[in-house]
Amino acid sequence: MENAWIIPLFPLLSFLFLLLFGKRFKESSAYVGMLLTFASLVYSLLVLFERFSSPTYKQEGVWLTIGDVQLTAGFEVNQLNALMLVIVSLVSFLVHTYSKGYMHGEERFPVFYAYLGLFTFAMLGLVLSPNLLQTYFFWELVGVGSFLLIGFYFYKDEAKAAAKKAFIMTRIGDVGLLIGMILLFWQVGSFEYDAIFAAVAAGEVAQGMITLTAILIFIGAVGKSGQFPLHTWLPDAMEGPTPVSALIHAATMVAAGVYLVAALFPLFTASDVALTTIAVIGAITAIFAASIGLVQTDIKRVLAYSTVSQLGYMMLALGSAGYVAGVFHLMTHAFFKALLFLAAGSVIHAVHTQNIEEMGGLWKKLRVTGPLFLIGTLAISGVPLFSGFFSKDEILIAAWEGGHPILFLLAVIAAFFTAFYMFRLFFMVFTGKSRSEMKNVHESPSLMTLPMIVLAVLAVVSGYVNTPWFGTFLGDWLVEGNEALGHGHVEGPAWIMIVATVVSLAGIYLSWLIYGKKSLSRNWLGAQTLYKVLYNKYYIDEFYSMTIVKVTKGFSHFLRYIDTYLVEGIVLGVTAFVQTLGRLGAKLQTGQVQTYSAVAFIGLAILMVIFALTGGYL
Amino acid sequence: MELEQLLDFKWSIMTPEFIILGVATLLSILDLFMPKSMDRKILGWIGVAGIAAATVSLAGFIDEPVTSILFDTFRLDSFAKAFKFILLIGSLFVLLLAISFEKKDGLAEFAGEFYYLFLTALLGAMFMASSGDLITLFIGLELLTISSWVLVGVTKRNKKSNESAMKYVINGGISTAITLFGLSYIYGLTGTTNIKDMSGTLMTMGGSQNQLYLLAIAFFMTLVGLSFKLATAPFHMWAPDVYEGAPTPVTAFLSIVSKTAGFVIIVRIFVSIFGSVPATGAQDALPMLLHLQDYIGFLAGATMIIGNVIALRQRNIKRMFAYSSIAHAGYILVAFTSMSYFTFDAIWFYLLAYLFMNVGAFAIIQLVGAKAGSDDISAYAGLYRRAPILAVTFAVLILSLAGIPGTAGFIGKLNIFMGAFATEPAHYVLASILIATSVVSYFYYFGIMTQMFFRPAADDSKFNIPVALLVVLIGSVVGTIALGILPNIAFDFLHDNFMQFKDFLQ
Repeated sequence: MENAWIIPLFPLLSFLFLLLFGKRFKESSAYVGMLLTFASLVYSLLVLFERFSSPTYKQEGVWLTIGDVQLTAGFEVNQLNALMLVIVSLVSFLVHTYSKGYMHGEERFPVFYAYLGLFTFAMLGLVLSPNLLQTYFFWELVGVGSFLLIGFYFYKDEAKAAAKKAFIMTRIGDVGLLIGMILLFWQVGSFEYDAIFAAVAAGEVAQGMITLTAILIFIGAVGKSGQFPLHTWLPDAMEGPTPVSALIHAATMVAAGVYLVAALFPLFTASDVALTTIAVIGAITAIFAASIGLVQTDIKRVLAYSTVSQLGYMMLALGSAGYVAGVFHLMTHAFFKALLFLAAGSVIHAVHTQNIEEMGGLWKKLRVTGPLFLIGTLAISGVPLFSGFFSKDEILIAAWEGGHPILFLLAVIAAFFTAFYMFRLFFMVFTGKSRSEMKNVHESPSLMTLPMIVLAVLAVVSGYVNTPWFGTFLGDWLVEGNEALGHGHVEGPAWIMIVATVVSLAGIYLSWLIYGKKSLSRNWLGAQTLYKVLYNKYYIDEFYSMTIVKVTKGFSHFLRYIDTYLVEGIVLGVTAFVQTLGRLGAKLQTGQVQTYSAVAFIGLAILMVIFALTGGYL
Repeated sequence: MELEQLLDFKWSIMTPEFIILGVATLLSILDLFMPKSMDRKILGWIGVAGIAAATVSLAGFIDEPVTSILFDTFRLDSFAKAFKFILLIGSLFVLLLAISFEKKDGLAEFAGEFYYLFLTALLGAMFMASSGDLITLFIGLELLTISSWVLVGVTKRNKKSNESAMKYVINGGISTAITLFGLSYIYGLTGTTNIKDMSGTLMTMGGSQNQLYLLAIAFFMTLVGLSFKLATAPFHMWAPDVYEGAPTPVTAFLSIVSKTAGFVIIVRIFVSIFGSVPATGAQDALPMLLHLQDYIGFLAGATMIIGNVIALRQRNIKRMFAYSSIAHAGYILVAFTSMSYFTFDAIWFYLLAYLFMNVGAFAIIQLVGAKAGSDDISAYAGLYRRAPILAVTFAVLILSLAGIPGTAGFIGKLNIFMGAFATEPAHYVLASILIATSVVSYFYYFGIMTQMFFRPAADDSKFNIPVALLVVLIGSVVGTIALGILPNIAFDFLHDNFMQFKDFLQ
């Protein structure tokens, strides 16, 4: 662990190397990136295993002295960091491998790998940071990496706009983070996490100030993790290459906000108001994004909204004091969502469209991708025995035990939506008639399928590290030696697990009735024997489509409307205001020296008049 | 004055100034006797050598205690030394830009003047940094200003350059008049032009209300007059026109050296004079500088907003950088307003960081401008494809100007930001304006980035980077990143050698 600082350096090396010599290596650049991220992965795993048996390791040196204030820099390996290191380096390595196939034939292939290296470096640096200032450094660098990768297809106007939007929207959140960070610094006199927690625990910081700084820092997390109302950049960011969406907008960067809240958890628990804010924002985001996901037709956008919604879940968990639940879901989500994105990429790779209305019947053609996508879908829908089931269950328990029955209800409904739209996606893409225009559909090369298989295995098994049945290893380990983080596992009533299962199965069932039923109705015999039942089902189907589906569709369109016109409207309004101000100012700049002097004299006069009016000393 | 007394002065502390003066004189004589057809570039290199020698000799005085000569009109204290380093390094870079500047629009005829006028301007700025008396201070200011006027109009056959020079002269005249008016009030109240005596007199004066009122008027007049030099709103309006029309090295000079000199003089006058006079008759009253700091804060806020917002509308990169330079002056004014424990450090560091990032940016502007024949932002389209290293260099400098972590600009802003919180009461409003306008600045800074990285190039021609420019580019990028990652280099230098400027008033 003493050498954990090496981990981020491998991808940095990859970035520098490819930047300088990438042109010469062409597509073999991929091997450079893969090799170096693999080194990071191996090292991260070693650190993780070492962390199981030894205590937290922290090393720091003085970085900057201003007056008598000393700022430090260094790295820290605690449970959360060690876990994040593995998640980030693993997903990054898999994405590096996958991209070798996906980006094949791309002219700027080495540049892509260089950017991936930069991003991975920043993200690994972020999770090793022992203080807020260093976190902020890497936080911004991660943003730069994301900016470059979203705008990778720079010849597309949408990609350019999306890159800029992502950078600036997240920056708005960062302003909150920066102000919160500096305020905290003046209260505590240090950026160190440990020092902050100690000061908060000792009651050195006023309650109001804790709440204020916690909420300001949370605003930073809102921007980065695409929480309502700063979420609009995330769906647009899908303009980037699909492996990037898997790496940045599913598993790592967007989870950084959740990570930040988790890393500063003792600060947040010191303020009930801040915790409740997080829980409410999380729940609203979860249901809001899930309902929008119901009507999207772009495969990546469905996944993007589902990411926003799942991040909302994590925030809800943290806000309900469910530290373990939040971090646990962060981990499982990283695996199954990366899997879904990579599988979606494989589909897009095969059919060259992102519109699910134009897809269908791909199950038989994509013999590997199909089942893998199904595993991801089952995991995210919370079907029992898959990883998402266990982590979502933890969150629901946390919300219930945290005393938020309404938020709990919202989370349950969102879970229902999730199961519904994910299977809608699955049925529309993989079942039904295959389109005539899609004759030449081939499975992706093994370079692309292998990473998916690894993720699929993890999407199934990663849930078992923390279950009420076999033991809560992860939870116990995460909170070991730190009482501020709460208990490893909260025993919840058994009915919650049953509710979660029922809700998820109901969602899948409804989705099947609507989007999968065509195959059933073709089967005449089956329909006859089960006539009565089917009739009733049909009735339910009609009922659903008349009521719930219509209402939710309407509601969903309504929210989408709010999304487009209100949230974006405010953003546009602010932009327009600034632009107008700029135009006015530029207009005053006539080129006439007389005007300039007049303005200067008016300025002087105003100063004097204010001075005279306020009385000066008289 | 007896000759003996004159010789008694410790003239050696003026060595850096003497070197600059000597080299300037030498250049003008050489220029006179060199054949017309001969390339004047060699003169530029001699100038560079001269500035380097002056820097070295200044470094030799680092441990020198406060010394003053000529009846305290010229003083070498740590404040003067610290800021002279910035002035010298800035001018060195600017002169390197000048050497590689294409001599067209009638400039070839005056290439000799082009070089040594930078030196005389620098000499003026250095005198300002060292002045202990309003007279030396004013003469330094005028030497700097008048040299700059000529420099702005030195490309004689370029109409824009002529227009700029004219505008600069008129606005400069107004500025000088207002400044002098303000200074004359202070003289009238204290009966001396020596800054140290002034502060002593004012401290013990106790002052009637009327006297204090007059002093406050002097405060505003001086502040406004000097604000022209800093190009802070609403006294900034000359800057975009002048920056656009002036030859690029001169623009760089105005935005770096001239601005630094402006801050030097404003800190010198305001801290020593208005910082020592109680704002009311009462003994325990706040100094006038703190009492009236809201007015400076108001100017700082207006400057940050106006600079950053209007920059959004600019298509011409030199104009854009003019507004960006206005905005940066606003940031530094925030540090000056807060007058915290960090103020001197923050201003010094920010000016140093600004020197590196801005001079590099102007080097690229000069290079691309000469190639494309226009300063329109579209000239940067596809720069990454044509010259990747140049584009990445520019990107680093722009990120620093925008204040992204890992660069000198971030540390500079962080310092100012922390300073704004370090006082009682904290300057929350200014700090928020600083942050909000920084966000606005991302739009235009990233506009350039978008051009460079995300737009197709009009042609594929490559760049030939002259040696002098290469030196500037390497120096500025290394400086920007080194100060961003290891800012302690600069802070240690500052703390080890300048004793927190404790000798400011000695």
